[in-house]
Amino acid sequence: MAAPQIPNLNTLRRGPRRSRPDDGPYRPQGKDCIVQSTDNDASVSRLSAVELGYLDDAYVEALTPSESATRRFPIINRGTYVRATAIDQLVARFLGPYSADNQKKQIISLGAGSDTRIFRLLSSRSTPDFVYHEIDFSVNTAAKVRAIRSSSLLQQVLGINASENKVTVSKSADALHSPSYHLHPLDLRVLSPNTSSPETILPGVETELPTLLISECCLIYLSPTEADNVVAFFTKHISNHTSQQPTTPLGLIFYEPIRPNDPFGRTMVSNLAARGIHLQTLHRYASLEAQRARFREQGLASGQAAADIDFIWERWVGEEEKERVAGLEMLDEMEEWRLLARHYCVAWGWRDRDDEPVFGGWKNLEAQEGSE
Amino acid sequence: MSDLDGAIEQLRACRLIPEAQVRELCYKARELLIEEGNVVSVDAPVTICGDIHGQFHDLMELFRVGGDVPDTNYLFMGDFVDRGFYSLESFLLLLCLKVRYPDRMTLIRGNHESRQITTVYGFYDECIRKYGSANVWRYCCEVFDYLALGAIVLGASSELEPTAMSGANGLSQSTMQIDDSELETEVLNSRGEVTMSTYRPRQRSSSDTSTDSRNISPPRDISAAPGQTATPSRPGAPGTGASSNGNGTMHTSRTGAVLCVHGGLSPLIDSVDKIRIIDRKQEVPHEGAMCDLLWSDPDEIEGWGLSPRGAGFLFGGDIVKAFNYHNDLSLIARAHQLVMEGYKEMFDGGIVTVWSAPNYCYRCGNVAAILELGEDASNGGTVARSNGNYARSNGIFNERVVSPGRRYRVFEAAAQDTRGMPAKKPVADYFL
Repeated sequence: MAAPQIPNLNTLRRGPRRSRPDDGPYRPQGKDCIVQSTDNDASVSRLSAVELGYLDDAYVEALTPSESATRRFPIINRGTYVRATAIDQLVARFLGPYSADNQKKQIISLGAGSDTRIFRLLSSRSTPDFVYHEIDFSVNTAAKVRAIRSSSLLQQVLGINASENKVTVSKSADALHSPSYHLHPLDLRVLSPNTSSPETILPGVETELPTLLISECCLIYLSPTEADNVVAFFTKHISNHTSQQPTTPLGLIFYEPIRPNDPFGRTMVSNLAARGIHLQTLHRYASLEAQRARFREQGLASGQAAADIDFIWERWVGEEEKERVAGLEMLDEMEEWRLLARHYCVAWGWRDRDDEPVFGGWKNLEAQEGSE
Repeated sequence: MSDLDGAIEQLRACRLIPEAQVRELCYKARELLIEEGNVVSVDAPVTICGDIHGQFHDLMELFRVGGDVPDTNYLFMGDFVDRGFYSLESFLLLLCLKVRYPDRMTLIRGNHESRQITTVYGFYDECIRKYGSANVWRYCCEVFDYLALGAIVLGASSELEPTAMSGANGLSQSTMQIDDSELETEVLNSRGEVTMSTYRPRQRSSSDTSTDSRNISPPRDISAAPGQTATPSRPGAPGTGASSNGNGTMHTSRTGAVLCVHGGLSPLIDSVDKIRIIDRKQEVPHEGAMCDLLWSDPDEIEGWGLSPRGAGFLFGGDIVKAFNYHNDLSLIARAHQLVMEGYKEMFDGGIVTVWSAPNYCYRCGNVAAILELGEDASNGGTVARSNGNYARSNGIFNERVVSPGRRYRVFEAAAQDTRGMPAKKPVADYFL
């Protein structure tokens, strides 16, 4: 089994290369392994940003394999910061301020990997007013179960203690269920509008709750048809079954690369292809407008918006906070930062109900104009 | 010298030299650099290069495109290290060439030639990884402290010798060549084919121009330089906007001098002489004139602005015009900023950014460029070291400084595995 051709800068910078399961780029199994391993990339980046003070996250260390700890370059740290805070902002506006009599809401995170959001949310809201689902390959959910089992901090947040334990783990140790957190080992490609309802395949999903779907660099690895089917599965099944039209409020957040057709974009596509990573929907959803059109096609009629990371850094981050972040590290290459940041976007679209709208907080977030 | 030639040969093959030899090399380089002023004088012809950033294979491509040392004179404007995976090989090779051919190689300091920056951006880690200790990093940093802060290129020709076109290719675009014009800029690809040319009206003799005062630029205070002679000219192409006040601090040639500096200007520096009096032999400070020279950027603003980099300043076209005017400069050449096309002229050709790291960080998809300035052979090859009494015209005392002819050679990233050199497959970080 050949070691992958240097898929990660860390391994070049600190010590010997880690071996990684890889059956070659051409067999489907091998491709999946590479996609699964992108989670490590993301969590190492997050750990780097946390250790340097960009982000505050007590849980990332417990969820990142210890041997992979490293320091990323400043532009990667800033990008991780903008990505994380932008999505946090959208999630916070979806959940709204905490109150004991809040209506329950639901978040479903696709390809969540070692993401820490559930732990951060649980520790910030005294009685959970939400139910949180993560769906990922079994190898990634199993790793998360192992991380939870070996960390008393994570267990404490999930409410696992000697006297009371409402958490169950599957025999194969890759599924976890608790009152407000569910970890589903599932290949997303099985989901389509024709798939039977979520209750059987995703135990714990409540189809009548206002729901937020998050895809952080996840659906982009599927084929356009597969990716659309996953979304269609949820837009169809998350529904008040008494009516003809699906009316349950549903929002969707994408964080994805865009603009593959300029020199930076072309280089990105070929560099990632050399690692065996294929961004399959990138060309279809290549621009901010294509992202907005995608929501319209998916029936998220109440609103569609998108902004690239450069825009979000400039317009969403306050001056004082910008100064704080800029002071953490000398960010030398401004042109390189803008170039990189313009090739990632956050897109958000939603359908809402007229009475008691759920996504009102998304309306006044500044989105980027223009079709490019 | 055979030791040195051996080291050059080894480094050219992308193989490191032993630590003891690095120490000796750095010691020799320091002895050489300590004799240089903060602003080195360089005679044209010279090829000006921007950031390299440890992209060794691309540096080899640069030498292939620009000509080998010592056949071509080079001026590297700093940022030899960090980011790429071969900072050591790149910097040590350049340093060997500097020691071996001191008059044909000029190295000035970039903001990455600093202890603090190299610990963040990779050079320190590379030294530890390749030599097992920080010794070599320390030797190199001591050399950094002695690198000049800038250079002045004298004796550049205003006119390029057109590159012979091989065959009829359809690549070239140019401004219309009119009678009595001279070739001002030429852009060549890495195969040596001309892809763009611009022309400007040839400088007239004094009898011709004396009646032509339609467009003397830039506007200037006539009383500022009494006793100076003048050569007004017809409206020229962009890049001809500077003129001289002959304040006696600078020698000018007909084309005016070219100031080379890594970053740009400083609000604390209004003359080249002020650069000369900086005490440079230190780590790059966080602020002040020395810091600004290595960190600042030109921008489409008026006056000075805060830099988003957190060090240095932004400076506008008015600042550049005034600085060039007061210092008999026809051009500022600088590096420091990634430009996708490899070079970028701003402010009517008063300043140019030259960027020499193609596909920067193996990720950016940009091309690189080097800038060739030709030798002015009109004086029989002698560089004019003083203001010439060119022409007197209609009572306006004005010596016009013409920008040098500029040949940009644009090149792409080297194919890494075709040269028989060790090459790691490049890897770049993305958000996944």
